[in-house]
Amino acid sequence: MASDARLYNLQWSVYTIIFIVASSVTLGLLARFTARLFRLSASEQRKIFWGFTFAGPWIVGFIIFVLGPALASLYYSFTDYTLGKSIKWAGLDNYRTLLLSEGRQGRMFNTSMLNSFYYALLGVPLQIAAALGMALLLNREIPGIRVFRMIFYMPVILAGGPAILLAWRYMLASNGGFVNEASRQIANIFSGFDYLYRLWIYLMEAFNGFYIGVMRGDALGPLKYTIPAVLAALLLLVLARGEWSESKRVLAWRSAQILGIAVMFRLMSKGLVAQPIDPSWIYGVGIAALVGMLTLNFASVRQRAAAHVLILGALAVVGVFALKHAGFALGAGETWRYLIPLLLVVAPLVISLVGPRTPQTARRLWGAAGVLSAILLVRLAWGQFGDGRLEVLTRYLTLGSTIERPADLDYLQKTYPTWLLSALWFYGAAIAVLLGAALLGERHPRARRRLLRGGLLVFALLAVSSFSDGRRYFQAFLDIAEATGKPNYHFALFHDSLRLFPDRTRVPLWMNSELWSKPSLILITMWSSGTGMLIFLAALKNVPQSLYEAAEVDGANIIQRFFKITLPMISPAMFYNIVIGVIAALQTFETVYILQTPLTRDSLSSAAFLLYARTFQELRIGEGAAMSWILVVIILTLTVLQFRFSRSWVHYEA
Amino acid sequence: MKRVIILTLIVLLAGVVALPAGFAHPVEARQTTVLEIYITGLTEDTMNWFNDTLFPAFEAEHPGVDVQILTGGWGDFDVTVAGWITTGDGPDIIYLGSEYAATFGDLLMNLDEQFQGWEDWAQYLPAAIDTVTYDGHIRGLPLLMSPRPIFYRADLMADPEAGAPLTFADALEFMRANTVLEGGAAKQWAFMDIGNDLFDAQEFIGYIWSAGGTLYYEDGTSAFDSPETAEAMQYMYDRRRVMRPTEDTAGLPPIEGTALGSGMVISGIFPMWAMPATSDPLWNDVLIAPYPAGPNGSPLIQVFIDWLAVPAYVQDPTLAVEFLKFLGSQDNAIALKDVAGFTPVRQDAWDQIKAADPVWAKLLDITVEYGRAFSDIRASAELRPLIFEQMTLYLTDQQSLEDTQQMMKEEYDAILEDNGYLD
Repeated sequence: MASDARLYNLQWSVYTIIFIVASSVTLGLLARFTARLFRLSASEQRKIFWGFTFAGPWIVGFIIFVLGPALASLYYSFTDYTLGKSIKWAGLDNYRTLLLSEGRQGRMFNTSMLNSFYYALLGVPLQIAAALGMALLLNREIPGIRVFRMIFYMPVILAGGPAILLAWRYMLASNGGFVNEASRQIANIFSGFDYLYRLWIYLMEAFNGFYIGVMRGDALGPLKYTIPAVLAALLLLVLARGEWSESKRVLAWRSAQILGIAVMFRLMSKGLVAQPIDPSWIYGVGIAALVGMLTLNFASVRQRAAAHVLILGALAVVGVFALKHAGFALGAGETWRYLIPLLLVVAPLVISLVGPRTPQTARRLWGAAGVLSAILLVRLAWGQFGDGRLEVLTRYLTLGSTIERPADLDYLQKTYPTWLLSALWFYGAAIAVLLGAALLGERHPRARRRLLRGGLLVFALLAVSSFSDGRRYFQAFLDIAEATGKPNYHFALFHDSLRLFPDRTRVPLWMNSELWSKPSLILITMWSSGTGMLIFLAALKNVPQSLYEAAEVDGANIIQRFFKITLPMISPAMFYNIVIGVIAALQTFETVYILQTPLTRDSLSSAAFLLYARTFQELRIGEGAAMSWILVVIILTLTVLQFRFSRSWVHYEA
Repeated sequence: MKRVIILTLIVLLAGVVALPAGFAHPVEARQTTVLEIYITGLTEDTMNWFNDTLFPAFEAEHPGVDVQILTGGWGDFDVTVAGWITTGDGPDIIYLGSEYAATFGDLLMNLDEQFQGWEDWAQYLPAAIDTVTYDGHIRGLPLLMSPRPIFYRADLMADPEAGAPLTFADALEFMRANTVLEGGAAKQWAFMDIGNDLFDAQEFIGYIWSAGGTLYYEDGTSAFDSPETAEAMQYMYDRRRVMRPTEDTAGLPPIEGTALGSGMVISGIFPMWAMPATSDPLWNDVLIAPYPAGPNGSPLIQVFIDWLAVPAYVQDPTLAVEFLKFLGSQDNAIALKDVAGFTPVRQDAWDQIKAADPVWAKLLDITVEYGRAFSDIRASAELRPLIFEQMTLYLTDQQSLEDTQQMMKEEYDAILEDNGYLD
């Protein structure tokens, strides 16, 4: 029997070798054939043949083991595929469920994404700070430094292993765990530390309680305006103070870009999968295509032709997509809702493509783009400002309140949050002011100053009013609970955390509480930041000593030397660590898988963990595939953005 | 160069043509003679018993058959099994947990025909047969069972004379009397669940049953909105508030060894592998009792049955079923208890165990009296996270009992419909 098995294995090994050789030679022949079509010389054809033949095993392996499964997963993401059942085409259903937070799965995906962003936004900076701190400590020439470096790097080898993670669980035990015991002992000795320790517990619990409320989908009420209003006010304050400079223009421009991308991403993720799709999308895409074509009229003929092909292709896809939605989502009688915008958009596009390239045509087409933009704005505004929603602005600008029935729980929970204007308008307004300031710049200083100061005043008023109204909104739930004698479930953990300042017996509950589960995970990740440390250490070694000596001669102190020399010189390493850290944070899996308990499962669950659970535990292949593609797009977008914005702060010169 | 390429291709093509003819026999031999079995979490001793004792005996009875065993951990269990099912290529027999019949459903082979007339079925607990049945058809053979009663430390109880509580009301009294808190932390807990905490999804289902409720109404929809479910939820909430009056109360210190042996836990639901050895003198003071019940229900013990199934992708299940019958014989059931500690599901394998061990005698007797198999949990893989999510909200004061029941009912109905359980 054993010899049969060996022969069987041998047979398949031979088959595999034959397949690899044959497919590699075929690939080489194909490459040579293509080279011949391009009329390359015989020598080049030969080189191409052998090059592709020898690269063949890798290329074939990539196609079979990476590209093939990736394409299959892309296909599955558009299907209702549960393991063991037939595959049914589902169009955008999976994406709709996830991006619109529909039903339980949409809710869970939203929660998991927020957890992942928590790990990325809070965990990565802390991890980088820890890595940099360790690297600075270990960049000293003291006896035994290699041993210290090994000790600090050791967690990287050990971390992630189940045994170490379980050891962490013991160390983080709320009662008798090493971390709490050590902290409590220090607090008992130093009274100042004790107060800080309890303050830290208080703030951590309040912050995490608030975050959990947001994660659970509790309505923020007016507080949803406070974040964009404060952000805009702070940015405008920085821009309005002192003299205008190029760095301020860049700041205004970059801030507008980042906010714009975030808003667009939010709008697209929801709008693209909405059923029926909003015809506004047709206007949006048409305007983009028209502006693109007009801009490209100044480019060379070849580039313009390529751009036209691309733009028309994209437009055709969007058109088919929109009509398909119109066809199955609406009755035949309503198709005009999509046809009219399509005709309005296509007409100027065709003219731009085949019409005379005169300045007069260009002006008319710019005019058409303006008209289409106006239609789009009116369409968007129509839905937003109805039902008196615009009153939000007028009331806040006069420091008023928008809450009309603070003692009515049903009103607060159901009517009021949906009545409010979307917070995206606040972001939109901030983008407009920032862009305006960047464009006015040096050429129109008075208009720029007025814009900045006016914007600052408006956003400051909005920030103060919305925060004050937000407090009223949160307090209203507490008042109702007190009046009725029933518990308050709106931001329950947040209110509970704020109730009392921790007494001397209080300790963080770490893995036993939703309030502490995410910080626990970040703490464990920080412990294993040795890889980042190693990269920082290598970068620190490459900083020329002469720069420090020159700075010392000029009288720079240690902090100035760190911020003016060390940080800029190690910025490529910092950039690398941030990119890798963000990607790793968004893919957090092992720690969640091992450390979760029934009560902390949802508060820990990352997007990668949910993807695993949905695919391999619940066997929902279609939805799991859709999750993975959304995650791919998010990671790709964030990485591209980081590269895009790295130019201003990463210095590659030695 | 052309000649080299053409020659290479000719040689390769010749190889492709020649090889299948030359190796035709081994391929055929493998398909008909190798029987692969996957069992999760086996120890080295158990693996040795399979390889050195059981397989040779089976191979002797079935000449030309080569039995091979695969093992793995619970950590990668879902991925491993899902991978086999996806590709339709895996072992002939796979090991499954108690609730998996509904998870994999028709992906497991209907073995009614192969097991028809097998007299040994009479020895199997009815609950065990329910566990391996899906859609009215047998899908495999029960291998072992794990009864999960509540164990009580009578020597540490505040009132040892009172015995084990059998109603929710008495159980809450017991919790209050036996929990000790000190300085915002627990010093002694009256109860601990299988996850060393105060909430477990399987236990929650157990309390719904012991309250007299069910998971499904007659029309197949979820019964999470029933008064019995509310009773079970309220009991779990009240119990939690006794041991953790506020959510910032710290739990027990880390426990080394068994929870019940630590002296910090007075009662708990544990599988036998998480208890001290039955030779430990501690057992003299341990009470074994069922879950407490509501006024309209009756106490019960949840019984988890691990079993061996034959996946639907297996071409010919005859040999696999022959092996299952062989493994499930009385002698092998007893041998597996000795080697691996597996509790037999066959009642005729109990006599020897009961005679040798009074703890097991008590446990098996009480299992027969109160046992209820953890089976017929529809769409269990999706139900579990739903219970986790909703019960977490309820137990940590983030959602009312009514809203929690309504959410569980609505969302479980949607899951059931999505999985084809509802019309």
